[in-house]
Amino acid sequence: MHRIEVDAEYDVLSLNKRLAKENREFLSKHGVIAINVMGAIGSGKTLLIEKTIEALKDEVKIGAILGDVIAKDDYERVARHGVKAEPLNTGKECHLDAHLVHHVIEKFGDVDVLFIENVGNLICPVDFDLGENYRVVMVSVTEGDDVVKKHPEIFRLADVIIINKIALAEAVEANVDKMVNDAKSLNPKAKIIKMDLKKNIGFEEWLEWLRCALRSRGE
Amino acid sequence: MHELSYAQALLDEVLRLAEENDAKKIIRIHLKIGELLLINPEQLKFCFSAISKGTIAEDAELVIEFIKPKIICTECGREFDEVIGICDCGGIVSIEGGKDFLLKKIEMEVE
Ligand SMILES: Nc1nc2c(ncn2[C@@H]2O[C@H](COP(=O)(O)OP(=O)(O)O)[C@@H](O)[C@H]2O)c(=O)[nH]1
Ligand SMILES: [Mg+2]
Ligand SMILES: [Zn+2]
Ligand SMILES: [Zn+2]
Ligand SMILES: [Zn+2]
Repeated sequence: MHRIEVDAEYDVLSLNKRLAKENREFLSKHGVIAINVMGAIGSGKTLLIEKTIEALKDEVKIGAILGDVIAKDDYERVARHGVKAEPLNTGKECHLDAHLVHHVIEKFGDVDVLFIENVGNLICPVDFDLGENYRVVMVSVTEGDDVVKKHPEIFRLADVIIINKIALAEAVEANVDKMVNDAKSLNPKAKIIKMDLKKNIGFEEWLEWLRCALRSRGE
Repeated sequence: MHELSYAQALLDEVLRLAEENDAKKIIRIHLKIGELLLINPEQLKFCFSAISKGTIAEDAELVIEFIKPKIICTECGREFDEVIGICDCGGIVSIEGGKDFLLKKIEMEVE
């Protein structure tokens, strides 16, 4: 017996990268915009998707992939709005990956916008590219106003940052401006939206961003 | 625990290279990991040791070298140690690297 050293130059992330690239190519070939909706548990991700479907029903064809440890509940909430939807159970995994999305993506070649709701978690999904075009990160004031600062990586890589449930800010003594400033200083290029889905605050601004993303499709 | 999926991808490649070299036992596995990758090294080691049980990579040691990202102001060139989006000068800060996860070298025992 003797010892040898074998040099390797292997990218451990290569499988996810390859499948994400295939997802992205499929989406671009069919003119679909995919949005990875990330954020904390209960921050309002599913409600945002539901309200967006209702608001744009006559304008845009929407599809949705709902990822969760058990995805059935979110799937049923979204599917009852009459759009094509697909639940993705992650089981023990704390994030979606490109492989899981790869299994169902072909069903969505005919939509304009594909929402992919990720598992509610501000850490685990961050490093798994799904092949999406945009990342939306949603948190709510009830998670505490230091939630942005504590999770720099997910906010740094976001295209849109939504601070939701701002009508509750006073009750939970959260400083919304601090959250916005933290987000800005981590990610000066992101679109930052102060929102309350129950009081209809910031929702028009979100729709405007989405319409703009649709117009710039393929450019 | 997303470290489990990393550990599985790593183990697959380690065992592939071991077979290619007719290895009898894997002693040490050298990794380079970017500091911005959200990975807990202890969790990675734990997951790896759990899934490698019963393979020749059982008991292998994971040696991790962390790689710093380059965080630099695009206006004044100031460099930072921590993730930040805007420099004091008002310039946008660019962040490059720090996201890799590479298998670099394996020490193994052969006949
Ligand atoms: N008060 C208030 N509740 C909200 C708001 N947005 C969502 N919710 C509620 O928060 C809970 C979690 O929302 P959900 O969409 O399931 O969050 P998800 O886990 O991120 O998908 C539900 O009871 C929603 O009705 C908001 O802006 N204000
Ligand atoms: Mg949900
Ligand atoms: Zn598969
Ligand atoms: Zn995890
Ligand atoms: Zn500067």
